[in-house]
Amino acid sequence: MLRSPAVLIVGVALTWFIAAFLVWPNANVLIQTFFPDGSFSGRAAEKLFSSQRAMKALGNSFLLAVALSITVNVVGIFIVLVTQYFRIRGSRVLFLGYATTFIYGGIVLAAGYKFIYGDKGIVTGFLVGLFPGMDPGWFSGFFPVLAVMTFATTTNHMLFVTNALKGVDYQTIEAARNMGASTWTILRRIVLPMLKPTLFAVTVLSFLTGLGALSAPQVLGGREFQTITPMILTFSNSPTSRDLAALLAVILGVATILMLAVMTRLEKGGTYFSVSKVSSGLQKQQIRNPVANAVVHTAAYLLFAVYTLPVVLIVLYSFADGAAIQTGQLLPGSLTFDNYIRVLTQPSGLRPFIISIVYSALAALIAVGGLLFVARLLQKYRNWVTAVVEYLLHIPWILPSALLALGLILSYDHPNPLVGGAVLTGTTVILLIAFVTVKIPFTLRMLKASFTSVNSSLEEAANIMGAKTLYVFRRILLPIVLPAAAAIAALNFNSMLDDYDTAIFLAHPLYQPLGLVIKANTDGAEGVDGVSNTFVYTVLLMVITGVTMYLVYGRAGRKSAKAAGAGTGDKRTTAPALVEAAPAESVRVP
Amino acid sequence: MVAGAVAVALLSGCGAGAAAPTASQAASGPSAVAPSGAPSGETLVVYTNSNGEGRGEWLTKKAAEAGFKIEIVGAGGADATNKLIAEKNNPIADVAFGLNNMYFEQVKAAGAIAPFTPAWSAEVDTAKGDRSDSKAYWPLVQQAILLGYNTEKFSADEAPKDWTDLWTQDKFKGRYERVTGLGTATAQLVFAGILTRYKDDGGDLGVSDEGWKQVEAYFKNGTPAVAKTDLFARIAAGDTDMGQMPSSIIVEREKSFSVDVATVMPSVGVPLAIEQVALVNGTDKQDEALKFIDWFGSAKTQGEWSQQFNSMPVNKAAAATAKPQVVEFFNTLKQQDIDWNFVQENMGAWVEKIELEYMS
Repeated sequence: MLRSPAVLIVGVALTWFIAAFLVWPNANVLIQTFFPDGSFSGRAAEKLFSSQRAMKALGNSFLLAVALSITVNVVGIFIVLVTQYFRIRGSRVLFLGYATTFIYGGIVLAAGYKFIYGDKGIVTGFLVGLFPGMDPGWFSGFFPVLAVMTFATTTNHMLFVTNALKGVDYQTIEAARNMGASTWTILRRIVLPMLKPTLFAVTVLSFLTGLGALSAPQVLGGREFQTITPMILTFSNSPTSRDLAALLAVILGVATILMLAVMTRLEKGGTYFSVSKVSSGLQKQQIRNPVANAVVHTAAYLLFAVYTLPVVLIVLYSFADGAAIQTGQLLPGSLTFDNYIRVLTQPSGLRPFIISIVYSALAALIAVGGLLFVARLLQKYRNWVTAVVEYLLHIPWILPSALLALGLILSYDHPNPLVGGAVLTGTTVILLIAFVTVKIPFTLRMLKASFTSVNSSLEEAANIMGAKTLYVFRRILLPIVLPAAAAIAALNFNSMLDDYDTAIFLAHPLYQPLGLVIKANTDGAEGVDGVSNTFVYTVLLMVITGVTMYLVYGRAGRKSAKAAGAGTGDKRTTAPALVEAAPAESVRVP
Repeated sequence: MVAGAVAVALLSGCGAGAAAPTASQAASGPSAVAPSGAPSGETLVVYTNSNGEGRGEWLTKKAAEAGFKIEIVGAGGADATNKLIAEKNNPIADVAFGLNNMYFEQVKAAGAIAPFTPAWSAEVDTAKGDRSDSKAYWPLVQQAILLGYNTEKFSADEAPKDWTDLWTQDKFKGRYERVTGLGTATAQLVFAGILTRYKDDGGDLGVSDEGWKQVEAYFKNGTPAVAKTDLFARIAAGDTDMGQMPSSIIVEREKSFSVDVATVMPSVGVPLAIEQVALVNGTDKQDEALKFIDWFGSAKTQGEWSQQFNSMPVNKAAAATAKPQVVEFFNTLKQQDIDWNFVQENMGAWVEKIELEYMS
């Protein structure tokens, strides 16, 4: 391993990066938080554990995380199967419907569901007409939150599980069927086991999403189901309570890391690629039982309606005035372009959009590009050094982004030898560093999962023929994982476009990204224009993320087809069909 | 080994620097005054939480007409405060404005703003700004934090006479909106107004048990606010009839949601939120920053700002050009006597206690 100069260089660079940007700033902020006067105080734990509200909210967050890990897998696998595995009528249309979660998320998504199922919602109105005794406020509490978050966070399944499914060797399926296996048995014994590494990776993400849930519980949780994130945000904003925020964040972070450890252990030792000499591409399966077929079709189209209705309403409401949005009354005559004109004719104009696009694109490319080789090394060489490195790279999952940003300021507001004696605060670089850092855990998880399903005999064959490490990586491995890498880059890009928590502390005053402008235009104590601006920005972001997906999808598709055609014999030629924008929260730090 | 030693040295240096406020040194220095002469046109970075609803753009434009080039960085009150404190070793901003006394007092304690005296110091009531001898922030605009109610549901006679009526009289229980977080300045000022009445040196965090019972009752009997749904929208929909509101938003919201709201004038008075302006400690454009502050706080600029945004200037000379109905409202209003030092010392702990123990 150490004989390759490429590995050595990457190792040194990685060690420096981890020390300078992951360990040092965050250790600084944690030390200052927990040892304010140089001595440790148990105050935070004491306060938290004696607070009923905090304990209940923490419990709710954990409940949601566990429940979400299950429900997102159920719904996610179902939609992947109906769009990619089974022969379902109109599966392309279904796919576009399910893909809507790629382009929006957060508070607006929760609001979209409320327009439909809330106490003044369309579906509720219809149901109350049918059953007059029904409680109009039915859509509030744990189950609505779980349902909305489940439907909102299947993005990772759509991208990565779809991609992994396309790598399943069709010959094994045919063989099983020849031996008399049923559709169900084939699914359970052959297809799903091959998807394990990817499923484990997306399960960790679902767990993390549940722990960090913010807007869905705020909008739909009601009195009974509030989570811990709002409290973390309030406390991290108050210097005297920051230790509470940090402690809560560390609790959530440790839980995430434990979950990660469990999944890593489950994943160990399996073979997640086809071992046949000549594998063939997947063909869609007909569901032979007519009743099952009808049930699956109905369920697929019901889900389609659930996914698409909120988007349609959000787009419609973005043309209505703020009062109409908040009171839930939509009159056809009241739709105008005023909201769009107001947002787009601000003096700052398109500048914040461009700044955000540049920052997000750079950060997405650096994170994915930088980690491609690292992920491969961590996946290939398993020893205590790589294990430590891997866990260190997950540090950004432990702390909320506001604390990460404070740590960077604290560490680099004076000349620091770690970065060659430079001062980073007040420069344009520090925000880029923060963006890259925040995206590392997600990028690493997904890249590692996709390397796991690469057939190792390809690499061995190349090695035997005398290819060097870098050559093998560039000509054999890279083309295979490129579709997944492109998907990850696109998701990273989209999730940073409207970032506020990091940018507020680190942005250069002359290069302020979109998140700050959105905040200034939507906060104003949630005024009238503020709410309609929120909707306009959501729709504009949908357009940008939609375009990103389209561009990445087209490119990745062409490239990987060419590369695979050139000779590895591997059939993972299909790009992630539409690569998407995760709802910002699906990959957000708690 | 060497790297480790450097790291430890840096760590301790960093920790000490951050923990020990350098305020005493900054605060005891002489008060800075702008030199005479025209603005140089250097770019000033201005932090504010008062840039929403077109204020930032308006100010940038007006400043440019006066020869100042400013770049506004907007952030919520708490964010702007944390940012100013975090950047104190290598400040990026030159001027900060819009934060109230509570926030600026924290910034001052951290040593991130420097004492100065603006040209218009004689035109403002110094009791509304920094009350210490070395004044590091000066008042610009005042807002009243009010309890407003729907006049369709309650006549002036039936309406509550004070916040405490909301949870002591049955007819108001469940009819007022209560906050779900204490992150906003408005919410904190409402609690400052209530808790300060129960000051008791022997009580928990300086407040008597009776005071904490009020807080408990406030949360128990109100309907929780709904994220991203304005109080006025909920009043219009009949979900609630009353709630907290800063004076400046009422006129516009009444129009947008077609509701009529009247405000309560408790006999103890109402809390005022006073937006201030400050000079960032360690800026390398101090002269230009001071000239900008002299221009921004002047009667002329403040008068135009008040005209434009329905606000009430602290500058007495500017009040002449503010909207008459706004001036009239503030003339009839009684300011609650709040011990700001007491509030500033305890607010962080109060917010923590309320979030942990009373909110549900």
